[in-house]
Amino acid sequence: MSSALAHVAWEPCFVEARQDRELETHARRRMGLPNPAVRYFAPAPWVARAAVDINPSFGLLIHLDLHTADLVGLVVSQENACRFCFAAVRAVLWFQGMDRERVLRVEQEIARPDLPAMVRATLDYARAQSRSGPTGAHGAWAALRGAGVSAGEAREIAYTVAVSDFSNRLHTALAIPPLPFERTPESLLMRLLRPLLGRVTGARRSRGSPVAAAMDLPERPYGRLIGAFGDSPIAPVLAHALDEMWASSHLSPRCKLLMFAVVSRGLPCEVCELEISRALQREGLDAAAVARLLTHLDGPELEPVERLLMSYARETLWYQPAVLQRHTRMLRDQLSPEQLIEAVGVAALANGICRMAAVVMDEPA
Amino acid sequence: MRTAIAVALVLALLAAVWAWLRERHGALRLQRQLDAASEELQRLQQACARLAPAGVVDRLVADHVDELTAMPAQRKVVTALFADLVGYTAMSERLDAAVLARVLNGYFQRMSDAIHEHRGHVSTFLGDGILAYFGALQPNPWQSADAVRAALAMRAAMADYNRELAREGLPTLNVGIGIHNGSGLVGLIGSRERMEYGFVGRTVNLAARVQALTRTHGVDILVTDAVRSELDATFRLDAMPAERVKGIAEPVVSYAVRERITTPDASPTQVSH
Repeated sequence: MSSALAHVAWEPCFVEARQDRELETHARRRMGLPNPAVRYFAPAPWVARAAVDINPSFGLLIHLDLHTADLVGLVVSQENACRFCFAAVRAVLWFQGMDRERVLRVEQEIARPDLPAMVRATLDYARAQSRSGPTGAHGAWAALRGAGVSAGEAREIAYTVAVSDFSNRLHTALAIPPLPFERTPESLLMRLLRPLLGRVTGARRSRGSPVAAAMDLPERPYGRLIGAFGDSPIAPVLAHALDEMWASSHLSPRCKLLMFAVVSRGLPCEVCELEISRALQREGLDAAAVARLLTHLDGPELEPVERLLMSYARETLWYQPAVLQRHTRMLRDQLSPEQLIEAVGVAALANGICRMAAVVMDEPA
Repeated sequence: MRTAIAVALVLALLAAVWAWLRERHGALRLQRQLDAASEELQRLQQACARLAPAGVVDRLVADHVDELTAMPAQRKVVTALFADLVGYTAMSERLDAAVLARVLNGYFQRMSDAIHEHRGHVSTFLGDGILAYFGALQPNPWQSADAVRAALAMRAAMADYNRELAREGLPTLNVGIGIHNGSGLVGLIGSRERMEYGFVGRTVNLAARVQALTRTHGVDILVTDAVRSELDATFRLDAMPAERVKGIAEPVVSYAVRERITTPDASPTQVSH
């Protein structure tokens, strides 16, 4: 089954896989199958956990059906030319019993202009959020709501796009090998095991149910975003992923905030930039310094690693896979393995979250 | 009777196998056709990417809709970089056509690489000139600095290329670059038969005029005040005398870009008068 992305240039993976039984067991329990990518993220465990835990297909969606969520993942991965994620979604569809021709038809159908209005609006919004950022996506958001998609469902669509944007950057930047997934339908072993694997993954994929909404929103960036998800199970999962990211010590909180700020400025997402600027001021940078650093991506206040990663963060905004992989490979020579994985994870998370934050926070609960 | 049933079962089984094989053969044939069509589309897309910015081609292919509705023109702030060869006409009269084409292609390739490396896209080649934009395809709040960095990379690439040309006994080249930013109309513009992803407005005109001023001032890279105001202290600039240019009412103030240093020691752009 040839892939629509088979032509996309993809470097050999330049990070080492590191065995971590705890992380691998966590991924297997949550997803039903071993996740081959987790070992590459092991140096920064929060990245590995986030890659598994925030996946919307495993008990996080209340309103959006899982098939539409898969289509959104397919569209966004195609948009971002992420061979790994595109192949992974195709493999999931195939495990679920779709034959290869049907998977190809699904791929062709997502580009058809005569789709039902709601599906069309969903996929248009997915592309807009991913390719144009929040400012460019406002029109598509209005069309999505105008097509009859409820507020809860629209937020879950935005979240699904955000997770795909995160996942696409994470796997693309580190050039995680896509071949195991791309060759899945051709492998005799996989074909024999397919009914079993389909049952195992199918059992783990489930709709979510409401949870108790957090009463006190935390005084940290994106507290409002988490609050916007109300009683959705997305709220605690997202809060936990963000908490783990801020708490990890391979990069300083100020460095991570600066990376988020660059992504917010570059998209642009004014509402995100405001929240991040306030957090940076709490870290000791005054408003004028923050404004200057974001205008020039440089300044005497910056530590060398901050200067390096502010520059890297902007490379993750709009990218060609090969160019992003080249920049990440150059970063590898200047950072420890732990810092590298954390830096890629922060940049990927910033891109996912900032892209959805503006529309989700603007929408009345 | 049993034999007849057995024969019937065997025949039914054979018919089922034959039907399955036939369907599978048909499916495989369709699959091969689909793969071939997909590869052909890919080749076409790659060919089109030479004629228009790759992002535009990708978007038109992904959207599968009419190009007029897919990418409506919109007003944006964009940085225009205009580059032109100095002394091209005299050189073109001395060189054999094949050699001239090789020299020009080498120049265009190196300049285009420097522009792409700094997130710009080449809009068009105008004779021996190059018109490139920064911030037209995607939002880019750092477009002015990107354009000036691209110009510095073009200067370095030109120096390397001149060393190659000199080794071959060919005349060396000099390039003049003008950079200006401002608002204009960006998008697919043109007739139904022939469209171009372009930027329309006074900004392009002023970038071309400033490029022409490089000869007046005897420098290779000039930026306008609008660009200078967005650069940080790492760029070393020299203010040039204001000059009147065609089509612009007020004399144009421009700055020659000398170099970029990597350790900033002051906030505003360093300008010598």
